Amino acid sequence: MAKRAESPQGDSPSSIITLLLRYGALMLIDALALFLFYRLATDGVWELAVAIVLITLLVNVINLAPNLVPLRWISPSLALLLLMVVYPIIYTVYVSFTNYGDAHPYTKAQTIALILNEQIVGRSYSWAAYVRGEELGVMLIDEDGSLEFVAGNAAPRRVERVDGELPQEVDGYILDDSRGRRLRVVAQGTFGPADDPITVNRNLAIVVNEKTPRYIWDEAANTLTNVETGEVFRADDQRGWFIRADRYEEYLAAVEADPNARLGDFVMKTSQFPLQVGYRVVVGLQNFERFFNSPALRGPLVSIFLWTVTFAFMSVLLTFTVGLLIALLLQAKTPGRRIFRTLLIVPYALPALIAVVTWRGMLNDNFGVFTLWIIRPIEGLLGVDIPSFFADPTMARVGLLLVNLWLGYPYFMLVCSGALAGIPSDMYEAASVDGANWWQQFRSLTLPLLLVSVGPLLIASFTFNFNNFVMVEAYNEGGPPIAGAAFGAGHTDLLINYAFQIAFGTGRGADYGLASTVSIVIFMIVATITVFQKRFTRNWEETGRNV
Amino acid sequence: MSYKRFAFLVMVVSLLVGVFSTVMAQDVLLIWADDTRTPILEELSAQFEAEFGIPVKVQQLGFGDIRDQLKTAAPAGEGPDIIIGAHDWLGELVSNGLLAPIDLGDMAEKFVPVALSAFTFEGQLYGMPYATENIAFVYNPELVTEVPTTWDEVRALSEQLVAEGKSEYGFVRQEGDPYHFYPIQTAFGGYVFGRDEEGNYNPLDLGVDSEGAIEALAWYRGMVDAGLQPSGVDYDVLHTLFETGKAAMIMTGPWALDRIRTSGVPYEVADFIPAGPAGNGRPFLGVQGFMISAFSTKKDLAEAFLLDFVASEEIEVTVGDVTATPMVLLGKARPSAFLPALEVSDDPDFPAYASAGAEADPMPAIPEMASVWSAWGDAITLVAQGQSTPEEAFKTAGEQIRAAIAGS
Amino acid sequence: MSSAGVSLKAGIDAKSKKRIELGYRGQQRIWMIVRMAILTAMVIFALFPVVWIVSASFNPKQSMVSQTLIPQGVENAEQLLRNYNTLLNTPRYPFWRWVANSVFIAAVTSFGTVMLCALSAYSFSRFRFWGRSNLLVFLLLVQVFPNILAVVAIYLILQQIGTHIPFIGLNTAGGLILVYLGGAMGVNIWLMKGFFDTVPRDIDESALVDGANHWQTYWLLIFPLVRPILVVVGILAFVGTFNEFALARVILRDNESWTLMVGLYTNFVSNNFGQNWGIYAAGSVLGSLPTLIIYLLLQDQIVGGLTQGAVKG
Repeated sequence: MAKRAESPQGDSPSSIITLLLRYGALMLIDALALFLFYRLATDGVWELAVAIVLITLLVNVINLAPNLVPLRWISPSLALLLLMVVYPIIYTVYVSFTNYGDAHPYTKAQTIALILNEQIVGRSYSWAAYVRGEELGVMLIDEDGSLEFVAGNAAPRRVERVDGELPQEVDGYILDDSRGRRLRVVAQGTFGPADDPITVNRNLAIVVNEKTPRYIWDEAANTLTNVETGEVFRADDQRGWFIRADRYEEYLAAVEADPNARLGDFVMKTSQFPLQVGYRVVVGLQNFERFFNSPALRGPLVSIFLWTVTFAFMSVLLTFTVGLLIALLLQAKTPGRRIFRTLLIVPYALPALIAVVTWRGMLNDNFGVFTLWIIRPIEGLLGVDIPSFFADPTMARVGLLLVNLWLGYPYFMLVCSGALAGIPSDMYEAASVDGANWWQQFRSLTLPLLLVSVGPLLIASFTFNFNNFVMVEAYNEGGPPIAGAAFGAGHTDLLINYAFQIAFGTGRGADYGLASTVSIVIFMIVATITVFQKRFTRNWEETGRNV
Repeated sequence: MSYKRFAFLVMVVSLLVGVFSTVMAQDVLLIWADDTRTPILEELSAQFEAEFGIPVKVQQLGFGDIRDQLKTAAPAGEGPDIIIGAHDWLGELVSNGLLAPIDLGDMAEKFVPVALSAFTFEGQLYGMPYATENIAFVYNPELVTEVPTTWDEVRALSEQLVAEGKSEYGFVRQEGDPYHFYPIQTAFGGYVFGRDEEGNYNPLDLGVDSEGAIEALAWYRGMVDAGLQPSGVDYDVLHTLFETGKAAMIMTGPWALDRIRTSGVPYEVADFIPAGPAGNGRPFLGVQGFMISAFSTKKDLAEAFLLDFVASEEIEVTVGDVTATPMVLLGKARPSAFLPALEVSDDPDFPAYASAGAEADPMPAIPEMASVWSAWGDAITLVAQGQSTPEEAFKTAGEQIRAAIAGS
Repeated sequence: MSSAGVSLKAGIDAKSKKRIELGYRGQQRIWMIVRMAILTAMVIFALFPVVWIVSASFNPKQSMVSQTLIPQGVENAEQLLRNYNTLLNTPRYPFWRWVANSVFIAAVTSFGTVMLCALSAYSFSRFRFWGRSNLLVFLLLVQVFPNILAVVAIYLILQQIGTHIPFIGLNTAGGLILVYLGGAMGVNIWLMKGFFDTVPRDIDESALVDGANHWQTYWLLIFPLVRPILVVVGILAFVGTFNEFALARVILRDNESWTLMVGLYTNFVSNNFGQNWGIYAAGSVLGSLPTLIIYLLLQDQIVGGLTQGAVKG
């Protein structure tokens, strides 16, 4: 069969159209990619430009090389996956090696551009507004009181005061310095000749050509100089700050003394606004070192990890078992099963967020219906005291699993229904001829076949729940807190919630570098578990092939 | 593949490249606002455009999304010229170089001074405030005939109300976030961050485990131990307790007034917060205002729009069935930060809120605050659940926060 | 053909035909009652919170906690429908616009996911090629990455591409659909591949022997056969996309381009915490209708299974 596919020309006539379509689509994609590459490269966005070219090349190779036919079918999915999933992952890996975050938001070039935007105003005036019909004019009032008038594209010209006051009228322009008129002037913004314009803001009229950048960037010396004060700032490309040259030794000493010194504070104290913004640099493994030295790791990490695995495993087990059970029950001829089927899918149709918050309300200790109608009677019946869903660690975990079961079973109900329907009925007939009972059939036929298609989804569901950040945040923000922990954490915190607490709760603003590092570490853990689980997948695949 | 086919491919490709073209962005003044402010600004923008021919576009975002989106959109050149936001975003936004300073000029005296100081970061003003908010002590006058003036009296009255069976609980505090604990903490002399002479917060002077804070927590523990505090009290539960008469005293902000009024429960807002050894409790002050993006290409125009149009006392806009100046409309849900608008406000409870918040501490805008909230809140929760002593809980929280601030 | 029915038939070791008839009927009835009981219990568990949400949507009080099953203090229809009225008749909440955006985005994403994933799944299932199993592991592994941070990169991609091709840029449905499609590939290819694997290979092999090419075999034979799973994946993708708001919130900035979930979330959850529960509930109830309708229309397809004709033809 592979041979046939290798020679498309030999196929039936319809394949000529397919061929044309394929080349047409390919050309369109290539054109688009080339266009994007050109434009993005012009913008200086090289990473993305290169990524797009690489992906396009791959698609071309796959679709033109005769021995890669099977991949042709996959190429659209693959291209999308590479651009929208893999590229962001690579980007995250890159960020983990940088100090990208609130204090270092932009690249060095962007930061310098921001700083060079700062202007010294050479000549400026206070001003008054004049109007002639719809046209506006501006009277420039110099510090010494002398006047110049500018309107339209004409250059400013000197005007004399009338009795020490501003003239009421110049060239037919009438003085009207009301707030509304002044606003109109600001809205127009620019006056005078195009090559020597004057811009007007609320307070001042400024001769644009006499504006000069406040800072001069010296590429060779790697310094910025403030032309007004003469202060020199040296760029520290290792840490991404501009440091006052006369304090540089002091700064280095601070770094020497403590690699985690609060350099941001130092910079805040010793320089002024745009220079206080640090820039993004590659810091190597520093984020990984920080993570592995962080107080968080001396915190309740082990118990959080164990809970995360338990939560993910139990969530999958519960949702799958219940989903499969319902799918099996609905497969049998039960009266009203259409209605059952529809009603049971309703939780899936509702937005998860409102459901979680509703559950939170229902489990509330004081008013929650679940507590009042179910927990309290059980307490009365058994004569025990069941602790609150939000104060007791075990109950909080039980509650979280309960809510997650409610949210998740319809997914497996749907998937299992589809998969069960796909098992050819003649297999059952064969099995029943062999005399297998229901349980034997289920164990040796239904379940293995089901796991062929659903098995990988169990892994996917496991990893999804392993990182189910939103669910925990919406339900109880990880509470109740663990007493006496070295780093704040809660009993229902998952690894990812805890990790983001590390990355964003350090009191130094958001730290994307550290957060990316944490993502990668978690990825390593989950990936290991997944590869381990994948051994089962191989078994499933074999079962599938034997069918 | 043959050479010829490849050549053909290249030809068609190069032809197609020429076809795609881009669309230029329109030159407008762009404002990001949340849903309650958007209608007012849209009305105002229409007037501005009619008068000056300069189109103003108001985009509606979620309040918190404005900050997050600004961080990504502004440097990418997709950002707005003006945003609406809260003063405690300043630390984060300024350290990203996202805000341009604002010069109020002679307008400065028309604003509530504490609101202006809240919008001042490192000596620079970065916003034009329009509203302030703080929590105050709210009670049910049918149950509370004489307002307790100290937290000890609050406890005594709570015990009395419960003993007499008048209400299920006396004073109830909203759990989960320490924002609602701060006034108690300050009444007992506790603090969060110390302040220097200019009023700037000092991140190295942490007061979460100060003596006063622990005393405040001990007082609260006393309430819990006496069975005077239900557990699991969030915003909704707290107000439900109050509205059903099950709680006689709570602390809440002006945002809850609508809800309380609709419920029909009798209520009064006390014009002070009960005192402790260190005097009356001080709530956190939050200020909302307009800020100008540092990446805006129309900063002059944006500033003029804010000061001469939004803060104008001559221009009136109509939203729904109310016609008033923009600042009056913006100050409908919260006490206005603009004195002329505050003076004409007819809300019966705003004066009490303003008075209770007269000494309020602006919510710290320094980034270190991020490491405080959860550790601080957890400590209070642990004590409320009886798992820690006040001393233990706040000492641990202090250690956690210091470790986080010192550098992980 | 039902598995339980079949199994019961199989489990009976018959000696007397009459006794079998009786025992079979009785046992079947007991089984049916048990099944009904379990299903009913499940329905109660499933619907209890839903009833609560529906009740909240008719409760003018905007409080989740204090509400009762039957809204109290409601005196007239105006109060009963107040939340729906606010939601549908406030100009700054363009509700129908949001619904239209959501349905459009979800429908296109769902269609694209089904088509592209089915192609890939067919290849993974039917061809044996170099790197196949590694590619499959790769698909699974990229899904494992905690992608909360990937949002930054995705934002940059759309922003940078969008400058030149506006209709797939930020703040557009096109851009969001691309992002969703990329994210949907991994799991769904796996799901479909597993399903394709259960379709006996002799079906397509005999077709190939008969002179059909792979495309024809796929499109005319296999594609109709695997309809249940296509529908399942389609519904999963539709619902997943329809209810997604984390990504949509970042990419769609403007009120007018929001999806329903973003609109509801930003206006009634993130802006005014806890003050607009009733409206949020009303929006959620209305918002769940498209999904339910689609499910109702397609549910026979899901459980319909392989039609005998297709297998033999």
